[in-house]
Amino acid sequence: MNSHNHKNTRKVTIVPCSGIGKTYGTVSRLAAYEVVEDLRPDSAQLVPLSLLVLGDEDTRATLQGSQTVTIDGCKLACARKMVAECGGVVAQDFAVLDVYRRYKQFKPDGIAELNEGGQKLARALAEEVAQVVDRLNEDKGGQCG
Amino acid sequence: MTEFLETTVDKFIFRVATDRKYNDEGVWAQPAGERVRIGLSDFLQQRSGDVAFAEVRPEGTQVSFGEEVAVIETIKVTIGISSPLSGTVVEINPAMEDAPEVIDQDPYGAGWLALIEPSDWETDSKRLMDARSYFDLMKVEAEEEAKKL
Repeated sequence: MNSHNHKNTRKVTIVPCSGIGKTYGTVSRLAAYEVVEDLRPDSAQLVPLSLLVLGDEDTRATLQGSQTVTIDGCKLACARKMVAECGGVVAQDFAVLDVYRRYKQFKPDGIAELNEGGQKLARALAEEVAQVVDRLNEDKGGQCG
Repeated sequence: MTEFLETTVDKFIFRVATDRKYNDEGVWAQPAGERVRIGLSDFLQQRSGDVAFAEVRPEGTQVSFGEEVAVIETIKVTIGISSPLSGTVVEINPAMEDAPEVIDQDPYGAGWLALIEPSDWETDSKRLMDARSYFDLMKVEAEEEAKKL
C-alpha cells in the first residue's frame, strides 16, 4: 500500500508543484520534502499534486479534513487551484518566485539536480513553510500528528 | 485609450499596442511629452517567463540606440534589454524595484521600464517599426516558438 493511503487529517498537508523539468517546480518539491522529512515530520504530510489531478479518492478525502499549504512553481498556481477544486482549504499558498525575490542571493538553476543556490532557496522556503505549519497547528490548539 | 492588434498562437494570446513603436527585439518606445517611455512588448514578456528582477541602468546614464538599458531576470532566462533610442535615463519606474512582476501583468501600462530624455528621437524613431510591422514580425516569431512546444 502506498504511503499516501495513510494520510493523517490532523497534520497540515503540503501540496507542491508537480512541474517536472522546471527549476522552480523542483525547488517547490525539495522544499516540501524538507518540511515533511526534516523540519516538521510529526506535524506535516505530503500530498502529490498528481494524485489530486488523477482523482485519487483517498487523497481527495485527506484534503477535506486537513489544513493545506500549497507551493507553486509558477503563476499558473496549479497546486493552489487543484486543492481548491478538490474542496480543500488552502491556508496559505507560497510561490517560489516570490520567495526568490526575498533571497536574491540564492539563484536556482538545474532540474534533476539543483545548484547550491536552488538548494539554499528550497531550504529557506521550507523554513517559511514550517513556520506556517506551526502557526496552523497552534490555531488548532496544539493538536498535531 | 490604447488599442491593440491581437493574435492567438497555440494557446497563447499576444497583443501589440498600436500607439507606440518597437525595435525588433520587442522593446517599445512611446513619446511622453519631451521624453520617451520604454517597456517590453506582451510577446517579449510572455516568451521570457515570469519576471523575478528588473534592473534598469541608473538615472543619468546615457545610452545609445541598441545599447543595453536594462537586464531582466525571469524564471527562464536573464536577458539584456536594448534601448530603442539614444538619450539619458531620467526616470525609472519605481515598481521595478518592489514589484517587477507588473511587467507580466501590464506590459504596456504600469509595467513600463524607464523614461528617457532623447538625444535625437526624430532619427531614432525612423529606425523603429510601427505596430503593424512589429505585429507581423512577432507573429512569425511566436509561430516559430510554438513549433518547439
